[in-house]
Amino acid sequence: MPKPGSARDPLWYKDAIIYELHVKAFCDGNGDGMGDFAGLIQKLDYLQDLGVTCVWLLPFFPSPLRDDGYDIADYRNVHASYGTLDDFQTFLRAAHDRQMQVVIELVVNHTSDQHAWFQRARRAPAGAVERDYYVWSDTDQRYKDARIIFVDTERSNWTWDPEARQYYWHRFFSHQPDLNYDNPQVLEEVLSVMDYWLDMGVDGFRLDAVPYLVERDGTSCENLPETQEVIRKIRAHIDGHYANRMLLAEANQWPSDVRAYFGDGDECHMAYHFPLMPRLFMGLHLEDRHPITDILEQTPEIPETSQWALFLRNHDELTLEMVTDEERDYMYLAYSANPLAKLNVGIRRRLAPLMGNSRRRIELLTSILFSFPGTPVVYYGDEIGMGDNIYLGDRNGVRTPMQWTGDRNAGFSHAHPARLYSPVIVDPVNGYQAVNVEAQESDPASLLHWMKNMISLRKLFKVFGRGSIEFLKPANRKVLPYFRRYGDDIILCVANLSQFAQPVELDLSALDGYVPVEMFGYTEFPAIGELPYFLTLAPYGFYWFELQRARG
Amino acid sequence: MASTGSNSSAPAAESVGDAHLALPVERGPGAAAPELVIGIGAYNNAATIGAIGGAVRESLRGSLAGLSSRVVLAEGGSNDGTPDLMREALGPDARLTQVSYPVHPMDLLQEVYHGLPGRAHARAAIFRTAHELGAAACVILDATASNLAPEWIARLAQPVLENSFDLVVPYYLRPPHEGALTRSILYPLFRSLYGVRIRQPLAADFACSSRLVDSFLALDHWPDEAGGAVDLWTTTTAVAGGYRVCEAALGTRRHEARDNTPDLSTVIVQVVGPAFGDLQQRAELWQRVRGSASVPVFGEAPSDGPGEPIDVARLVESFRLGYRELRDVWAAVLPPSAIIALKRLVASPDSSMQMDDELWARIVFDFAVGYRLRVLRSDHLLQSLAPLYLGWVASFLQQVRDATPQAVDERVDRLGAAFERQKPYLISRWRWPERFSS
Repeated sequence: MPKPGSARDPLWYKDAIIYELHVKAFCDGNGDGMGDFAGLIQKLDYLQDLGVTCVWLLPFFPSPLRDDGYDIADYRNVHASYGTLDDFQTFLRAAHDRQMQVVIELVVNHTSDQHAWFQRARRAPAGAVERDYYVWSDTDQRYKDARIIFVDTERSNWTWDPEARQYYWHRFFSHQPDLNYDNPQVLEEVLSVMDYWLDMGVDGFRLDAVPYLVERDGTSCENLPETQEVIRKIRAHIDGHYANRMLLAEANQWPSDVRAYFGDGDECHMAYHFPLMPRLFMGLHLEDRHPITDILEQTPEIPETSQWALFLRNHDELTLEMVTDEERDYMYLAYSANPLAKLNVGIRRRLAPLMGNSRRRIELLTSILFSFPGTPVVYYGDEIGMGDNIYLGDRNGVRTPMQWTGDRNAGFSHAHPARLYSPVIVDPVNGYQAVNVEAQESDPASLLHWMKNMISLRKLFKVFGRGSIEFLKPANRKVLPYFRRYGDDIILCVANLSQFAQPVELDLSALDGYVPVEMFGYTEFPAIGELPYFLTLAPYGFYWFELQRARG
Repeated sequence: MASTGSNSSAPAAESVGDAHLALPVERGPGAAAPELVIGIGAYNNAATIGAIGGAVRESLRGSLAGLSSRVVLAEGGSNDGTPDLMREALGPDARLTQVSYPVHPMDLLQEVYHGLPGRAHARAAIFRTAHELGAAACVILDATASNLAPEWIARLAQPVLENSFDLVVPYYLRPPHEGALTRSILYPLFRSLYGVRIRQPLAADFACSSRLVDSFLALDHWPDEAGGAVDLWTTTTAVAGGYRVCEAALGTRRHEARDNTPDLSTVIVQVVGPAFGDLQQRAELWQRVRGSASVPVFGEAPSDGPGEPIDVARLVESFRLGYRELRDVWAAVLPPSAIIALKRLVASPDSSMQMDDELWARIVFDFAVGYRLRVLRSDHLLQSLAPLYLGWVASFLQQVRDATPQAVDERVDRLGAAFERQKPYLISRWRWPERFSS
């Protein structure tokens, strides 16, 4: 009998609103300058009030923190700075009590070089089972067709280990050796780790860097069939032992490649749609719907039980790997005037600064995020328009403390400001004195209230998470119109990507007799007839219409 | 309509009932499943249980004779001899199964308008017994009724047994001054939300089919014990699940007079609170419903004369006092235009004070939105609705003072239509509560 999860509906992730947060950055409960589970528990009511239904936690395991926790040194514990296992379990129960699911990040491609498995491997003789937990070579010339991901810091995917007297393979930082999935014992270990957390009650895993699990000579070492096989085994194991759990693949690949991670509905339940994200920004800046419609039209169908995870921003840079060279140049010119904003192949900025702090642009992109086919993922702080700090290293500028109040340390911590894991944002536009939860809660017209309303509205209509999408192609390309359909529900969304008012004529004649009801104010618009349906949209304006049959 | 289930945070159905119910209730050797279960939840109802038992006995000997039946008494631990009185009243022919249900100390501390502590537990115990016996229909009777007529039981049961209805709710004959909370809020609210015109959605006596019983038992969460939650929930769940519902015309219903009847504001908290709470649970459903339709009525309701004269001036004065004392509280949920309209009403003479139906509908909807947004503590918010309600009742009574029951129904029907017309206002406020102008 599979162990039940906290959700009753096996497809719960299709209707979810996922909120991504780092325990470190959210709230400091013990005053040591670092966020922790005690602090997070205090803020669960906030998340519930916001309306999110699922919390995705970035890695919180013991780690040397050389890659912000993505370098795991022990899969079965909690980093001491964030609390204890008991604290985690208390958090988990409290989240479930609020009908929120919890997804945790599991980095299964690699470990920290401080992990006991690696320490044991480097000391074990070549060929020993323990050594074989990682990928070793006497030469650094194998797998030469694999690209280097962190081009700003790494020169090779191989690093010499003087103790093992061999090179070890790493797709990311050199202190993150890749696990060797050609060794069946590795998969056994990983499944055991998964069981450990699933038994505790977690509702799913975000599988970090999942395309890189297996390596083969003569390939890019990405998206290999052998990697799919590993994922299928993981899914089969979970389905065999647990009910209503979810796997979310982080595969920064083209849609046609990501499609493989859904399998026939027997691999990951969800995967990010990475190429869509930069094209939303590009379409907005170009004032042209083509980049957006083009990528979605290239997106293959996915199995009935599968779901795309959609996002505007996350804890990483705005990645530009899945765009053409010309598109990348355009994005750099459009969104990273300051060269410091560039990192690796992307732009390390939060949503509000990318939008020039334009409330209308933020709302427009968020409305698209919430109405496109998939499950939206909101990055912590973006619901209040938090800023960033490009002068901090790596991606730390988008991982600064959550801004709760205008008090010391933004209400994040009682610690001496110098003890904070990161300085809070203090600039006059996005600083915590100007942008914080407390102020926005007291302002009914704030971005935070707008987000609450949007989340609440989206949750009323399963069509957004489960329905089909069909684009309309009116002559004015600055306007992005699309139908969403699910069962009897037909929703028409129309977005103006331009900074100026735009007219549009839509051919809705197939829906002659239907009445568009604007969904936010529940306002009836003129009934649809055979003639083109004419709308005007305010700058960056958007409409969501329920199409209702005219009353008899 | 598709079923949305219930996500209430109330106790799980599995916890309802007690250890006695863990064992299957035996039908008896060789006995077939009864066609009908008549269930009564009771706790210290010695004053009325005998009459109810007698009505059941007469019914089983009369219009229900020939049906195989079982009477189920869900007993909360009475110390006034309620079970013995029931057994005695039923006589030797009736088959009685007694099951116990837990009454928690907290249930006893709270005065509830219906007078039965642990009502949801009692109902679950009866449903579970009916399910285990395999009964085709289940009639639930309220142990506090003081004038239950034998024919009412048959009138409730027959639409299930003979016409395949899933829920039969009572349509009591009520004089104008009675049932005002149902007429002014519950009926029009329920009608506008779910598109079904059920005049008394807060059903204490009703009948349901085995498939509806099964669907109740399959739900994870049952409503909170407080107040009228389970009565309204029963009807709402059936309608939301798309089950066939009808009304049975019964006569005038009277309750046992009790010393511990809660005051009006408490009753509003207990009755309107669950109704507003239900809005939150089923927003996905009711926001898609447009218009409304009547349900079939079985039986002819006997006509009754006009009710007792009511001192309307006293109601108007309570409304005016409420305006003076609570205007600032109302302003937290009502828009300025409503406050101005109320101010005009306060200033009007007693005899011509008429609260417009559209205004009243908007007030109820604004309170529902305020309840959802937790603008104030929910009980404080609901208590502050009492003077507004009295203002509407005063208007209503002045209009129907000498009206026939049919004319009263027509008047209430017009109010329901006003609630339907104002439903877009509710949806708009619900979806986008921040309004600069209204």
